[in-house]
Amino acid sequence: MQQNTQTKLIIVDPDKCTGCHSCEMACSIKHFEMCGTNYSRIRVHEFRDVNTFIPVMCQACEEPICFKVCPMNARVRLESGAMVTEDYICIGCKACIHACPFGAAIMNPVTSKTMSCDLCNDDELGPWCVKACTMQKALSYVRAGDASKARGREWAKSLTDDYKVPGTKEDDFGFSFNV
Amino acid sequence: MNGSMGQRLRIDLTNRTYEIEKLPESYYKKWIGGRGMNSEVVYHESFQGMDPFDPDNPLCFGSGPLVGSFAPLSGRTTISTRSPMTCSNMGTGIHGHGDTNMGGGWGPMMKYAGFDQIIVKGKSEKPVYVFVDDNKIEFKDASHLWGIGTKKATMKILEELGDHDIRVALIGPAGEKLVRFACVMNSFSASGGRTGMGAVMGSKNLKAIAVRGTNPVKIAHPQEFMKASWALREKIHNSPSAIRRRAEGSLDLFDVGNAIGINAHKNCSTGYMKDIETLYGGMQWANEFLFRRKACWSCPVGCGRYTYIKEGKYAGFNCGGPEMESLCNLGPRIDSEDIAGVTVMCGIVNELGMDSVSAGAALSWTMEAFEKGYITEKDTDGLRLEWGDVDTSIKVLDMIAKREGFGDLLAEGNIRVAEKLGVGMDIVPHCRGLEHISVDPRVALGFSLGYAMSTRGSDHLKNYSCLEFPGCAKSRAYQVDEVLKPATAKKFWDNFPSQMTQIDTKPELCNWSEKNKCIADAVGCCCQAIGSWGGAGTWKEAYAPLLKLATGFDYNDDEIFKTAERIINIERAHWLRDGSAIQDDTHIDRYFDEPVAGGPHKGLKLDREQWAWAQQEYYALKNWDNFGFITDDKALDLDIPEIIPDMEKGKKIFSDWVIKTTA
Repeated sequence: MQQNTQTKLIIVDPDKCTGCHSCEMACSIKHFEMCGTNYSRIRVHEFRDVNTFIPVMCQACEEPICFKVCPMNARVRLESGAMVTEDYICIGCKACIHACPFGAAIMNPVTSKTMSCDLCNDDELGPWCVKACTMQKALSYVRAGDASKARGREWAKSLTDDYKVPGTKEDDFGFSFNV
Repeated sequence: MNGSMGQRLRIDLTNRTYEIEKLPESYYKKWIGGRGMNSEVVYHESFQGMDPFDPDNPLCFGSGPLVGSFAPLSGRTTISTRSPMTCSNMGTGIHGHGDTNMGGGWGPMMKYAGFDQIIVKGKSEKPVYVFVDDNKIEFKDASHLWGIGTKKATMKILEELGDHDIRVALIGPAGEKLVRFACVMNSFSASGGRTGMGAVMGSKNLKAIAVRGTNPVKIAHPQEFMKASWALREKIHNSPSAIRRRAEGSLDLFDVGNAIGINAHKNCSTGYMKDIETLYGGMQWANEFLFRRKACWSCPVGCGRYTYIKEGKYAGFNCGGPEMESLCNLGPRIDSEDIAGVTVMCGIVNELGMDSVSAGAALSWTMEAFEKGYITEKDTDGLRLEWGDVDTSIKVLDMIAKREGFGDLLAEGNIRVAEKLGVGMDIVPHCRGLEHISVDPRVALGFSLGYAMSTRGSDHLKNYSCLEFPGCAKSRAYQVDEVLKPATAKKFWDNFPSQMTQIDTKPELCNWSEKNKCIADAVGCCCQAIGSWGGAGTWKEAYAPLLKLATGFDYNDDEIFKTAERIINIERAHWLRDGSAIQDDTHIDRYFDEPVAGGPHKGLKLDREQWAWAQQEYYALKNWDNFGFITDDKALDLDIPEIIPDMEKGKKIFSDWVIKTTA
């Protein structure tokens, strides 16, 4: 179970999610050639009374509980880092579904076994949910090592005012630095 | 069945029974779905002279074959029934077809439950709500929800049923009290506003329909469908107009609207409000009030807003919305510059469950009637409404929803108020009893003709001829050339951009755009993408390929276009059956006599002669007779021969009325 900085994962920014469920539609049609929320491995949980939407999908944990509880060792890690169920080994006992702390292990409505995000198995489009989330990029597919980078930078930027980082005063010089 | 689910649900509230009806492929070929199926049912299962509050009036909730699929913008639901709000010039008791289209995510969930359409008939003795859980249908007591606003009631239902993924379409207090312009709300703030569908729901004592589904929507050619959907998504996502709409919501229309001088102001009388774009513009609004955006099902744009008011008198107020029409009809229409107050009003009408256009019209009519001295405090129980008075307006909205005092009268809709008081009929801006939206019918003549010819009373969303606007035509010039005959297109470009105010190309443009819009409604997709911001192209580029790939039917574009015509004609036949023909396809005298008061088109008014020409031209294009009745040939051509005897009955009513009025 080797994780390196090249492994990519899907990160979620709930503040940008608009609750359009496009990710679910993309996921279900990609994996089942049909559309339906029940057929999706990513689920958008809605709190419409406060207009808040939070997509939840398999986090591909480093120490996956689904892996530990599986009596058949049917949960395997793909090269991409995704944790998936080998259908021909899985007996459909749903232990992983009970155990997953995120509720991200979902019953496959066709086989009654487990399904979870496979990062679209290295499809050339990348994970379809991320591509379908074109609206505000609530979902993004980034290298694991960079997962916190954007937020870190945002936070750091908020400090620049406090530290009075000097800006360039182009007008004072009568010319531009970018010429 | 691919695309569609192949069955519909019939609910009888009187006996608390239901029936699941399987539908053949031929039915879907004939009516596509959504608006088509609804209009068919409403026409065939209502009758001439039926009271909309009759328990047998079928209330239809329909979704199309693309709804709930990966196709972009596929979250629309059409609700249709015989409308209590609309009426004919022959009398306010003569009703006709009414429908409304709502976004949100209720329609997709209905499809996942396994139904393309839910038809509600009968009347429950006690307040009830229906829970459709796949094939299991339950009738649940709604006494404890009666009188509660839409948001709170939705929360209660979700908590009661124990699943927050359930979608609820429901009415507010206004629908329960049979306010004639009550709306149906779903997903907290997506509303089916116009023509009073909520009132019909209330008349059946039906508070809500909650749906939960676990079935998938099947696709006939999934691989090609995916490819086409991705392409359309990208196209929409990257179109400049969609990018703007994403940032500003539909409020981006304010500055365009005022630049070309079409906005409603002061009860749709002036056509222009100074500085509307700086007051109400999308960016200004967003900077001040936008909390977070929201989107309908499968939408790559997301024009939905969610308001949070941070400071001032209304600090802490939050609600879903507003949308441009709501803001415009509750703001500029009553001449208010208090943006926070107007935004709050938008939230209030949602909570009470009322159509924001007609609610704004009720307020603005009262204000103008006061100004003109038509009514005094004596008529309104001491209440005085002055232009721009938001505080009193909020009070009046509440009175309308609860039918208290003067509100009880206003709840009947402008035209009935004017009739009852015997004054102010001249200042009711309406066609077929439904008040205009925020585009002035003296300026944009395509919209104007559309209002009059619309099959649900004055409304731009039936005849969505956006190509007449200079901006739209310029950015989509190829469409103009595609949809108009060469000679007409030449006329169009010769007079560009002043063609907006000229009627000569409009019958042809309307004839096309009406069908363009109809296909979006029938497949269950958003019309904005092929209309106002047009990021998706026309129906032919956007929805026809997806429809074919999803359903697997072998029909060609001409057949799809003809289906749209069939749908429009059956809706028209609904009106004609009651005798409502040419006499209703027009505007009130005010727009012929009183010119626009300001803005770039100051002085413009409708011309009676030109209007008569446009009517006849439009009828000819449709193969209707000189009075606007559908000819036998046309009915046979569209494969709806059953309307022929009804047309005869309608002609009789019409001619009797003509004789009576001319005598």
